[in-house]
Amino acid sequence: MSEARIDGKPASLAAAAERAAEILSAARMPVIAGLGTDVAGARASILLAEKLRGAYDHMYSVRIFADLDVMRQAGLMFTTPNEARLRADVLLFIGKDLTKIWPAMMTRLSPAEIPPFDLARKPRKILWIAPGRGGAKVEGLAVQTLDSSDLHAALAALRARAAGRPVSCAKRMLRKLDEFAEVLKKARFGVAVWGGDSLDCLMIEMLHGLIRDLNKTTRFSGLPLGCDSNAAGVVQASGWMTGFPVRTSFGRGFPEHDTWRFDATRMIESGEADAAVWISAYGPEAPPWKKNIPLVALASPQTAFAREPQVCIGVGCPGIDHDAAEFSRETASIVGRLASHGSPAPSVAAIIGQIAKHFGEDASC
Amino acid sequence: MLILLKGGRIVDPANGRDEAGDLWIENDRIVAAPPGRLADEVHDVSGKIVMAGAIDIHSHIAGGNVNTARLLLPEKHQNHLPNPPALPLSTAKWSTFETGTIYASMGFTTVIEPAIVPHQALQAHLELSDIPIIDKGTLTVLGNDDFLLSLLRDGEGQAAVADYVASAVAASNGLGVKCINAGGATAFKYNARTFSLDDVVPFYGLTSRQIVEALQRAVEDIQIPHPLHLHANNLGIPGNVATALATIEAARGERLHFAHLQFYSYGAEGDRGFSSAAAELAAAVNAAPNVTIDVGQVMFRQTVTISADVLRQFNGVAMAKPKKSVIHDGDGNGGGIVPYLYRENDFANAVQWACGLELFMLIDDSWRVFFTTDHPNGAPFTTYPEIFALIMNRDARAEATARLPPEALAMTTLPSIAREYTLSEIATMTRAAPAKLLGLKDRGHLGEGGLADIAVYTRGKDLAKMFRFAHLVFKDGDLVVRDGRVTHYRWGKALKVNPGYDKAIDRRLAAYYDHHFGVSRDLFAVKENFLPRTGMFREVACAR
Repeated sequence: MSEARIDGKPASLAAAAERAAEILSAARMPVIAGLGTDVAGARASILLAEKLRGAYDHMYSVRIFADLDVMRQAGLMFTTPNEARLRADVLLFIGKDLTKIWPAMMTRLSPAEIPPFDLARKPRKILWIAPGRGGAKVEGLAVQTLDSSDLHAALAALRARAAGRPVSCAKRMLRKLDEFAEVLKKARFGVAVWGGDSLDCLMIEMLHGLIRDLNKTTRFSGLPLGCDSNAAGVVQASGWMTGFPVRTSFGRGFPEHDTWRFDATRMIESGEADAAVWISAYGPEAPPWKKNIPLVALASPQTAFAREPQVCIGVGCPGIDHDAAEFSRETASIVGRLASHGSPAPSVAAIIGQIAKHFGEDASC
Repeated sequence: MLILLKGGRIVDPANGRDEAGDLWIENDRIVAAPPGRLADEVHDVSGKIVMAGAIDIHSHIAGGNVNTARLLLPEKHQNHLPNPPALPLSTAKWSTFETGTIYASMGFTTVIEPAIVPHQALQAHLELSDIPIIDKGTLTVLGNDDFLLSLLRDGEGQAAVADYVASAVAASNGLGVKCINAGGATAFKYNARTFSLDDVVPFYGLTSRQIVEALQRAVEDIQIPHPLHLHANNLGIPGNVATALATIEAARGERLHFAHLQFYSYGAEGDRGFSSAAAELAAAVNAAPNVTIDVGQVMFRQTVTISADVLRQFNGVAMAKPKKSVIHDGDGNGGGIVPYLYRENDFANAVQWACGLELFMLIDDSWRVFFTTDHPNGAPFTTYPEIFALIMNRDARAEATARLPPEALAMTTLPSIAREYTLSEIATMTRAAPAKLLGLKDRGHLGEGGLADIAVYTRGKDLAKMFRFAHLVFKDGDLVVRDGRVTHYRWGKALKVNPGYDKAIDRRLAAYYDHHFGVSRDLFAVKENFLPRTGMFREVACAR
């Protein structure tokens, strides 16, 4: 059953784990990348990185840090999908790819329903900034849209108008901004929803500034949609285990965090890292780097690699093949998922555990 | 394995002992001197102090809000020290691994995380699983959860409330119930900016008082050993002693634990409208035998306030230092993370510091006053040794007091207080009383049959050093600390209660989650198969 290969040839799990350990112990600076895994897999990987004095990173770090860098530089206000569904009288969507990121978003937030915990019990107002072509559809409700080719400027102008400050722009745009600002200011519990590639740090920070300003007189919060492959769950586990999010290294025997230095792809392309573990249990994502370095892959069996990894082990999908704790976008919290189609496909945690055994029996964790 | 601790001073107030003597350990238990047997291991502890392992009843060591604080402040916990190979991540500052390591080296063997909302319980237990050595427990936060508020609004009766509370505690594997600014977080969602005991939660038409009373009764009805653990309204506001006094009154003589009382001991006297009312409050606690409190001592240094009192945290955002904070409108309570710097030369901070010490000194019964900093809200738990020194030695207190602004001291009674805690009182406050308060019959004492959680200290002039580096610490009879250094990891239990209730409420809850939230309630349950190890829960009996 187990799908393991060494240099492209079928191998037993035990042999594959042993070969993986050899590759990693020969490396001076191994990096664990991808990290598309459940909490148990992340936990095992971080403990392995500590043993190896290596670094670790997640495949969606760029998006992770768009939100996280704003939080740790300026702060953040956020809420949960439950609260948005039950209370939000105003929903402010931003960006064109929201339903692509989260296909169930509209079902989950159920915008066409009158928010049951709203005192006024009126239909919600839906605003959408930069919905893109064919976006901005909410069944049963009119959507006010604001198109902009420059989201930086649009968000800044909207914040300025909401604060009653002048902006310089076309009359039609100004009217639209003022319409939006009025709706936002009259919200009783408004929620701004963003995610994906549409927003960079500066935009998110501007949006947070708008949310903070609105809270001077009313209630408003944010709902970042985050990334797939349990990115938020991996960041949480990394947070409690090391104090830091991903892009952390144990090179000096203690965790150091730096979003540039410990960017796995950069480390590999520059030659700083000399072996890699690629983990992708949720889907067939392949490593993004081009350089050829020794690679141990713990990946979904359908993964197509540009080059055959030295060691490749097929792993099960968390919550489908095996029980898993993972961060859920539906609830904005870590939840437990029982295997929906239990199978003997091994978990990332189990494989990492087998590899780690070769670095000394350490039952301590 | 039979271990003998020979000739120490046994300080065991639960059994009325404070005398030189031997202590025998077999496996994980304290045993009577076994006639005719030789110990496998003898530790000469003559001249040393032998106490049960300490128990911290209120320390924010896990959960979503704590982890958000870690991620918010990477610059405040840079590392410099590699860990010993046997202790992975033990030197990673503010990691779960470091938390267990430091607690153990101070002689603490059980720590309670007091603020876990049911929807964050799985994460909290995952974090607790990565705290080595010590036993842990959580208090389940209720009082801003819509299901409870709707039960109360609809007048469903106390039985339904009790069933719900029991079900919520059981699903989150909690050890007790905490209530944080009852109704305040919900009122904040309706744009309330202040919320007091008799203010009404919009939409539900309930006062904070009604919610607290209902939860207090529910905890008694389902026979959870720990009384309702209350974070009251108006935390941190000048003049809030009135709220604290009214809250004690509102307990109507029933059991209540009043958390971090220091933050409620403020008058509004003086030129600056801020003063200590700790003496008045301590007198009220002395007169209310149904009430227990923990202090929430402030110490002067950088910290971060982490609280599910989202309304209060929102109001504190302007005080953030460094200037960034997180406000989370979560399911139920949510929370706020606001970094804060307590400064010795700041008038208000100095008054706060003095208030805490006044409460320690002026509450007579060391069975009813508990040792906390509300970690990390008043100060990190790593400051405990310094606080022990302050309450045990009036000279140390006078020295620290002399550094404060005189106008702040003038607003307190602290300089007039000469009391010094005895070792026996320390052992009561940090061992015997917490075990009693939480219903943990197996610990907090050194009697036969007790769990062999034992801390041995070297008495010296430097009291802080004595408590920072325990000479020996045993957890479940396993020697884990020598001379203040952890030698190896072991994994402690999560203590929980399993109150009985009418399961019909679970069906109602399932329907409520499906309809309101659109997700299954099962997603939030803390099941063992999601945790790194099995067999790590220990049930504490309900019934008193």
